[in-house]
Parts: sequence; structure tokens; C-alpha cells
Amino acid sequence: MIVAERKPMDEILEMLAPYKKVLVLACGSCVTVCLTGGEKQAEELASMLNLAARAKGLDLHADFDCITRQCDREFIENLTKQPADYDAVLSIACGVGVGFMSELFPDTPFLPGLNTTFYGANVADGVWAEYCHGCGDCVLAWTGGICPIARCSKSLLNGSCGGTNQGKCEVDPDMDCAWLKIYQRLESLGQLDNLRKLRPPKDWSKDRGKGVRRLTHKELSELES
Amino acid sequence: MIDGDLTTRDLARLKSTAELMAREWAPCRNGCPVHADVRAYLQCIAEGDWRAAIDVIREQLPFAAVCGRVCHHPCEDNCRRQDVDERVAIRELKRFVAETQGATGCTVNKPKKQDKARVAVIGAGPAGLSAALELAKLGYRPTVFEKASVAGGIPATTIPRYRLPLEVVRIDVDWICAHGVEIVTGVEIGKGKTIARLRGDGFEAVVIATGLASSRSLPIPNADHKDVHLVLDFLQAVSAGEAPNVGQNVLVIGGGNVAMDAARSAVRLGAKTVRAMCLENEEEMPAWSWEQEEARDEGVEFIHRRGPVEIIVKDGKIVGMKARRVTRVFNEQKKFDPQYDDSDVIDVACDTVIFAIGQMADLGFIEGGELAAERGRLTYTAATHETSVAGVFACGEIVTPPGSVVEACASGRRCAKAVDQFLSGKSIQIDDSTPPVIDTIPEATAEKVLKVDRVTVPTDAAEKRKTNFEQFEHTLDEAAVLREARRCMGCGGGAEVIVDKCAACLTCLRVCPFDIPVVTDVARIESDKCQACGICIAECPANAIVPRSRAVDELVRRTAAALAKTPKGKKIIAYIGGFRCTADEWMGRSEPIPGVAELYHASTSRLGVPELLHALEAGADGVVVVSCPDGTDRYPTTATRTKKRVEQARELLGEIGLSPEKVQLAETADKGRDAVREAIREAVVKITEE
Repeated sequence: MIVAERKPMDEILEMLAPYKKVLVLACGSCVTVCLTGGEKQAEELASMLNLAARAKGLDLHADFDCITRQCDREFIENLTKQPADYDAVLSIACGVGVGFMSELFPDTPFLPGLNTTFYGANVADGVWAEYCHGCGDCVLAWTGGICPIARCSKSLLNGSCGGTNQGKCEVDPDMDCAWLKIYQRLESLGQLDNLRKLRPPKDWSKDRGKGVRRLTHKELSELES
Repeated sequence: MIDGDLTTRDLARLKSTAELMAREWAPCRNGCPVHADVRAYLQCIAEGDWRAAIDVIREQLPFAAVCGRVCHHPCEDNCRRQDVDERVAIRELKRFVAETQGATGCTVNKPKKQDKARVAVIGAGPAGLSAALELAKLGYRPTVFEKASVAGGIPATTIPRYRLPLEVVRIDVDWICAHGVEIVTGVEIGKGKTIARLRGDGFEAVVIATGLASSRSLPIPNADHKDVHLVLDFLQAVSAGEAPNVGQNVLVIGGGNVAMDAARSAVRLGAKTVRAMCLENEEEMPAWSWEQEEARDEGVEFIHRRGPVEIIVKDGKIVGMKARRVTRVFNEQKKFDPQYDDSDVIDVACDTVIFAIGQMADLGFIEGGELAAERGRLTYTAATHETSVAGVFACGEIVTPPGSVVEACASGRRCAKAVDQFLSGKSIQIDDSTPPVIDTIPEATAEKVLKVDRVTVPTDAAEKRKTNFEQFEHTLDEAAVLREARRCMGCGGGAEVIVDKCAACLTCLRVCPFDIPVVTDVARIESDKCQACGICIAECPANAIVPRSRAVDELVRRTAAALAKTPKGKKIIAYIGGFRCTADEWMGRSEPIPGVAELYHASTSRLGVPELLHALEAGADGVVVVSCPDGTDRYPTTATRTKKRVEQARELLGEIGLSPEKVQLAETADKGRDAVREAIREAVVKITEE
């Protein structure tokens, strides 16, 4: 799941400075689940903007709305408020939603209310942690299901590095050393041999090396064309 | 009604989410013969809004005051709270609001135009007056003819005053009359004025609701002795203030509720010994268990499984009753079919006998007319209330099995629908269908519900009450009424998931203090478990959960209205968990702190961060949340949740450069008015010092 967190209010207010009438648009998918971009957060954010506007004497008014996903065009039919009626839309979807909506509504500025941070899982009530980097060339099969790209601070493929310290990472003493975890996991699975195998260099072109990545399901896309 | 999953589109079609209450009924409502909206009126009572409560009751139940005294309360028998601790004392709560509000303190929904047909109703008892009231509300012009000199039927003429004072009956009768129901007392239809004449006089329909007006007697020797009373005559004489001679040693024949009334009245008239003899044993007796118990407390003795054979008279005076042993009362098909052992006959000493073995219809009014009757019962079609003559209808005990006041009301109301359809030229089809009923509360949920003892009704001791006809059960005081009404769990008023909005994020499952939601495709919250605390509603990031029992934006609207009423200057909103406050506080009748608008809720459990911000947005300069500490709030974890939400709201305010002090929390809602006011005052100082 995509995890995101709200931008600081100062930054949001600065972004919105040129606009008077703003729609805060929530996304009912990943960012709802991680409690940052759901309808309730949009409702709160709109309130905060209206309160800030009054306190600072700004000519700004915010409403809110929500659709199921901002990354599919069909759901815009369910908008109860129209972006065209606003000077700008503050989208609290992940960056995908902001970008895609910007394409669908070319005449209305779509601004990001969130910083999209990672692909993560819910590790405890109210806590999400990064599990995947989206590198395009998954290695979890031989790393015991622990991603060295996402969970090692240096994304090393042949760790651990010299910065491992009592099982923790030198970058943050609260962070586990991913490579120690990988080793321990492989050991318990009886798969330490995985680490002895010589592997070709990772194909980083599948990450961002060749620009914008696409997924095409021919069976569906051909039907449509 | 919306079946199955609830969607955004369904919700948009509703006037209010409260309409969702029709998706399922709580068993209290379902069990009530008139389907009074028990949960709704108990909620009004819990908030101290007596007027709203009685209006809700009277929507379905014209005899609210009478039923507050004498109803056999199937609502209570069905109350789901009995699986938590004890059922809610619903009848006593109804009694309080009905009598506090009287006839004038409830809304009269008299239509502007009452120009439809004239309808004659025969009998001003619960069935007849209920039918007349409904017809009046529909714009008809009903006239009720009553044989007795007073309207109200059995409640007014026969039920002993210690159970039902006449002024209580008058409350209901006066309120009914205010709807344009005309009552003519002292007129017996059949004597002089026949049904045929009524129709000739311009009444386009006739409703017969004469009840069971005659007492049954027994064809045994000396049954015609002057010291043998028939129960209705006896009770009616007692109710009229006469003191029929009961001698020293009374034998009441019968084991039903009317027999209990007779026996207990005889005690009050000064009889030294009162015995009730019946065919049934204790378990088989039809009298309500509490009636038997109270009678026993007053000194009434019971002789079970004996049937009267002969009243023994010596020198012109009754000296006893020969009674044979009963070997069985009901046959294998559970039909009344008593068998006797004639070799076992005893003499029961007595000087007065009261026959209380049942009542029957007095069909005098059909003589010389076209109405048909079979075996002493008026010929009648139950589905349509029609008799054998077109335009003549019947309701109440004359055609139904003997029942209680509320059952007669239900029959009368139903009959009015039939009359309306007939007079509108439609074929008579009455839809008796009701929504599905919520199941019993599962044990795992019941365990988590805060236990609160059921109220004890103040009752005079038997020694005191048996000497007079004064009421012996006293009306609850206000504090007891509030505490008792707040025991209602609001069954069926809980959470509904809007399935197309739910992101299956699991938040509801994680925050529910009763462990109720499960997430399958989306969150599923079962109504038989949900306690309607609203914690999930306040926490759901998708705004995908709505309450059935309240409008989604209720708090926002109340806040705006309260702010509009607050005088200019600093305006503070106080949201108070009202589980332990008084009616005056909840209803805003207590002296306000200047500049502070107090809004009460059953619990602060449903108060979310957006509501706190919306209050400031609506113009409040500050918000004070007064919660009950955990363990005293009606819902677990409320204080902790409330505290976290206040903290979050304060952080958000800080982020936009406003003082976090604008939102204050006090956890003193359980400590009484002085502590709450003190906490609000301190909070106001912090808000205004910002």
C-alpha cells in the first residue's frame, strides 16, 4: 500500500496563497487506510484552512470531497463538487492521484496536500513501515522475504556494511539492520546458501533507469483500441 | 426501507439517517401491540425532554397515561437489557412523562380541515377512542357514544383506583378529545337509538367497540343470592365510590387479573378474610405474577384447583361454598377443558361470593337490527374489521380475545384504517408487516456493557395500602427517571457502514470497545451487537460509518444554533458527556455561564476532531469538552478516546498558528453540576487568556 503523510501547514498555506476557493479532495484508497488522505482528513484540513484564513485575514475558503480512487478516471463521476468551480484543488491522494487528476482536469491546478513517502505495511495500530521500494526487479526470493532495497538504508545487495551495530543501523539506532535480519531469516529457513550464490548485477534500468514505467495488459488494451 | 448494504446513493435519498431505524426494530417496539417507538422515547427521557418523549409515545399510543399505570408491558418483557442485568422499567418511565405532561403538555395533531364523513363509534373505551382519534386525525368527524356517565371504558369505570386513579384516565381522554373527537356519555345504543338510526342520522360508518361489558355467572344453586356479586358490577360500584357490602369473609371465584382486582378491592373494603378460589394451580393461573404477589402481600389467600358446586345458604345467609377438586384444567391440546373429582368436595366458609370468571359481550345493541352474531360473538372478519353489515365495523374485546388496554388501542387504530379505506372507496387491505427484529445480545457483548441497577419503584407497604384505595406505587422522581432511561441501550440505533466508502482500513475494528466490527470485503458491524457508542464513527478516516439514530450533522447543526443564540462577545461551546447530568442541565434550563453554550450528549464517545474544529469554524472562540472518566461513562474507553482527540485538535490548531488553548478538556462530567461549571470556568479562563 502507498503511504503518505500530510505536508506541513505552512507549506500548504504557501501553495494556496494565490487561490481563494479551494477544494480539498480525498482519495478513498491507500491514503485513507493510512489515515492521512481520507474524507475525514479532508474535512479536517478544510476546517484548518478556513480557520487559518480567518486568523490570518486571508481571502480563502475551502470545501472538501472524496472519490474512491484518484488514479482511475471513472471515479470522477462520483465527485459531488466540481474542480472547475474552484481556483485550485488540494489533493490529498498520493502523488499518483495528484498527477493523474491534473491530466484529467487540465484547467484546474491540482496541488499536493501530502508527501508520498513509501510502500508500506501496517506494523502496529496507527504505525506503517516501508517494505518495498518498487525497484522493478524483485529479489525477495533469495533474501528471505526481507527487501534489501527498501529496508537497508543503503539499499545494499551484498550487506551488511560496516555500519551495522548490535543488529541496528548506523543511520538510525532504532532501525534494524536489514542484512542482519536477512541473515537470521535465511539461517532459520536453512537457506544460507542463497548468500553464497553468485548473482548477476541487478538491472536498475527497471527501477527508474529508462524513464516512465508502464504496464500494459494486452488482452484488455487491445480490446479498447 | 433500504434492504441489505447501505450505499452513498441510498444515503442521499434519505431525509435523515434516522430513517435507517426502520431497517430493523428493537424487540421492545416489536413486542408492543401498537409498536410504540420505545427506544426513541426513552432517548428523549434520557435527555430530560419530557415533551418530546410523550409526543413520541402518543404517536402510537393514545392511552399513554393509562398504560403508564396498568400496561402489561410486553416492551419490558422483550427488553434486550435483561441479558446484561435487568430490563429497563419502561412502564414507569412512560407513567412519569405522561402524568408530568398531562393532557395539555403534549402536541395535538388536529388537522386543519375535519370535513370528511361522520363516523359513529360505540363505546368510549381504549379501542373505541383509539379508532375515533385516528379517524379524527385523518379528517373524519367521529362521535363516540358511551353508555356510562364517564368516558374511558374499563380503565375509567372498573379498574380499581389504587391501580389507576380516574384523573389519569382523564389525561388521555382529554387529549383525545382535543383532536376533535366528540364523546356523548350516558347513551346506550340499542336502547332507543339503534345502529340503523345512527346511519340514518348521517353517520356513514359505525364502529362497534363495546368491549366485554357483562360478567359471566355460574349456573349453581344460590348464585342469585344478594350477597353474590358479579365482578364488573362490583368493581364498577367500588370505582364509583360506593362501598358494596362484602361482609367479613369473601370468596372470589376466578384466577385472572380481574379476580385479583376484586379480591384486593374486597380487602380494602374491610373484609377480614379474602380468598380467591380458582380451577388453576399457581402456574396455570392467568393473573400476572406481580398481581398475585401483591394480592398475597395484602393478605389474599388462594385456593387452587377447586371448582364451585353450590353456594351454601343457611337462614337466608351465605355460609359457604361447596367446591370439588379439579383434576385437570387443560386438555392435551392445551384447550380449556376442566375435569373434576366429584368424590372430593369441601366446604369453603364465606359470607360473600364474587364471581370473577370472565366477561362476555353484551349484544343488546344488535337486537332488531341486521347484525349477525354466532354463539354470543359478533360476526366479524378479523382482516378487515367488517361485520355482517357493510359500513359497520368492530374492534376491541367484543371481537378479539380478552386483552389489555394497549391491545385494545392497537385494534382500534387498525380498525380506523379499515374505516378510512372503506369510506375512501377502496378495498380494505391493511398491511400489518413490520421490519425484522434485532436478535438478543450475545454474551460476549453483554459482558462489556456497563452494569446499572434497575430502579426500584417506591411502593407503600401492604399493611398501609390495604386500608384504602389510594395509589400505592408512586411515580419515580426525576433523578430516578433519568438514571433508568439512560439504562436503555438504544438497541438498533448503532452504526451503519456505507459500503462504497469503506476502505476496509480496519480502524473501526481497532477502536471498538465492544470488539464488534469485522472486516470481510468491507467493515461489517452487526446490529445485534453494536452498542451505538459512535467511537468508530468519530474515528473512521473514510467517513464511511453513520449512526442510525441521529443525523450525521446533528452536532454541527446544534452547535451553529447554540452559537447563534449566545450573546455577542466571547463565545464558548461546551460539549458535555451528559450521562449523569440533570434534565435542567441537558435542556438548558440551568443558569448558564455567561458566553458559554452547553451542549449535552449521552457520551463524548462520538465527538470527533472535525466536530471540534467545526465549532471554531462556526464562530466559537473556544471549545470545552467535559467527559466522564472511564468507568463512569456509559461506554468503555470514551475518556481515553476523548483525550486523544482533544490533543489532536490542539496540535492541528498549533500548526495553523492558532492557540491550542482554544480547545480544553475536563474530565468531571460525572461529578455534578458544580464541578462541571467550575471546570468550564477554569477552561474559559485558559481560552480567554490565550
